[in-house]
Amino acid sequence: MLRKMISAFNAELDSLSSQLKDPIQRRRLFKFLLVHLVIILAAAVCVYPLLRIFSVSLRPGDKLFSTDLSLVPAGATFKAYASLLKDTMFLRWLWNSLVITIATSVIGVSLASTAAYAFSRFRFPGKKAGLILLLSSQMIPAGMLILPLFLMIMKLKLMNTYLGMIIAYSVSSLPFSIWILKGYYDTIPRSLEEAALVDGTSQVGAFWRIILPLSTPALSIAFLFNFTTAWNEYLVARVVLFSSKQYTWTLGLFELQGQYITQWGMFAAGSMLVTIPVLCVFLYSSKWLISGLTLGSVKG
Amino acid sequence: MEILRSLYEVVWFIVLIALGVGALEGYFYYHFKFHDRRWFFPAALAAFPLAALAVSAPLSAPSFAHWLWFLGAEAVVAAAFRWIVRGRHTLPYLLLAPAFVGLALLLVYPFVFEFYLSFHDLKLTTIMMWKNTGRIPFVGLDQYIKVFTTSPLSEVTFWALLGRTLLWTFTNVFFHVLGGFALALLLNNSIRFKGVYRTLLVIPWAMPQVVAVLAMRGEFHATNGFVNIVLGKIAAAFPFLAHLGVGPVQWLSDWPLTTCTIINIWLGIPFMMVVILGGLQSISSSYYDAADIDGATYFQKLRFITLPLIRPVLMPAVTLGTVWTFNNINVIYLVTGQAGGTEQADILVSALYKAAFTYNRYSYSAAFAIVVFALLFFISVTYLHGFDAAKEER
Repeated sequence: MLRKMISAFNAELDSLSSQLKDPIQRRRLFKFLLVHLVIILAAAVCVYPLLRIFSVSLRPGDKLFSTDLSLVPAGATFKAYASLLKDTMFLRWLWNSLVITIATSVIGVSLASTAAYAFSRFRFPGKKAGLILLLSSQMIPAGMLILPLFLMIMKLKLMNTYLGMIIAYSVSSLPFSIWILKGYYDTIPRSLEEAALVDGTSQVGAFWRIILPLSTPALSIAFLFNFTTAWNEYLVARVVLFSSKQYTWTLGLFELQGQYITQWGMFAAGSMLVTIPVLCVFLYSSKWLISGLTLGSVKG
Repeated sequence: MEILRSLYEVVWFIVLIALGVGALEGYFYYHFKFHDRRWFFPAALAAFPLAALAVSAPLSAPSFAHWLWFLGAEAVVAAAFRWIVRGRHTLPYLLLAPAFVGLALLLVYPFVFEFYLSFHDLKLTTIMMWKNTGRIPFVGLDQYIKVFTTSPLSEVTFWALLGRTLLWTFTNVFFHVLGGFALALLLNNSIRFKGVYRTLLVIPWAMPQVVAVLAMRGEFHATNGFVNIVLGKIAAAFPFLAHLGVGPVQWLSDWPLTTCTIINIWLGIPFMMVVILGGLQSISSSYYDAADIDGATYFQKLRFITLPLIRPVLMPAVTLGTVWTFNNINVIYLVTGQAGGTEQADILVSALYKAAFTYNRYSYSAAFAIVVFALLFFISVTYLHGFDAAKEER
């Protein structure tokens, strides 16, 4: 890919030198350079902190605090990664996060998919109130629900367990998922279902065989949204989980960033290991994400 | 804990009874086709409490509260039977049920519980009493008065926090939209490497927020952060700028709110960019062609074509962004929340979190949360109302 980019850039340069003489061409060139310059600058600002974490994670243990700005530091090693995997329970934390997050997302998406269908296709008393409830639930301050949730989980004796975390997380992104899925279902023509109904399926059958397969992009967006919310959460986790064996990776990284001594090398290595898979999934699905976010609202 | 436990048991007991009696009742209704009759409701409401009372009277002396419970439970059963089990709306309600049961248990119930707490006095000194006896002193509106007159932390008042929050929300959303719009416009050109650029530009959004914020916090570190290193180099290279005051700054201790704002702007632009880009791509190019024939300038096209057509996409995103920014606890808590963090950057929601979990003033923070919720609700309703009005105008 890099080679392709370089050759494309060379071709661009070749055509540039011939264009410089014509004033219209010159203006176009100026615009071209300006647009690319601004975007490259913005992209640098976006990417740089990530690269810096990478560079910190490569630093040898005695040079963690330096004013060196080079991306690959002198004497780069992967020691921080090795000690992170060996000396801490990092893999265990990742596993905890993964279990909790996937369970949460599956529950969240399945609840949202049926509820959104009800909102999209039926008229029933309480529909508007339900939608308003969903919208206003977004306005509840994050810190507000933690204490009652904590008491509830304590009451159910689910402190420090996967199940407690899954229960606490399961509805947190439900309103947003329902909203997105409803917007998507609205764009699927009703005639498809009507045809299926004429052919003899039930309404539930039509939903299961027609609507759900057609809305795969929206379902994956909802899944992604649920996934990232639960994956990155730490405020609830901080209250519910207290033994470091059960920590999610967010709490684990916090522990490395201790009160007085911060294990910067390990912290950076852990951040990289956590970020890269999420980044890949996110970038892979970003096309769907864009269409899904705007579909519901374009209709206005 | 006692009150929760007894409440829990009572609720379970009632649910079990209601399920049993409801099933029995439903069988009778179904069998005799009662539910279509006009006298279904009054008869059900009258008959059921009498029967229930006859069953439970030997167990305990009936009181007014019993009557109310039975009446309420019966109303629910009868209504459920009429509209949900046998009605036209069976399917949508069944489809909605799991999601709304979840929301009721994990969102509405905690909300109501906070409401209950806000009229009582639960704090570190009374929590043991609550655990042992299940009782907390009732204080009426005291907590609400305290919200407006005392500080949730150690020095900042509610009003200062409110002003700071509004400033924070406005600045952030403004720059999110501005930056997102500018980048979306640039990306909407037919340029080379568009996909690569877009991929790179969404990275702040795609990174786990904890990592992103802590990494940015590192960049604002007084001696090892990128920002200060660069500022120091600029000051060293151009002495006259150093005279004007350009140079390394104690970002985290002297300018915490500014730092948080910069970090949050950095985090929030990609979302807006993506949303706006989606909107821009849905605008048909024929409008621009027509405007070109009429000789419109770039800014005229922007003002009269792009902005009005992008509005339906932009407004919901801005509303959502406003609510999210207002409620954004992550950035501020992660930047200033740890050991010895300052209060100078706290906005309403982060002060709320600290009041509850650093200072253990549970009831106070409950009242505080209710106030914040009401405020936000009011703001968004006005916002959406304005949006609807604008839509009708169009």
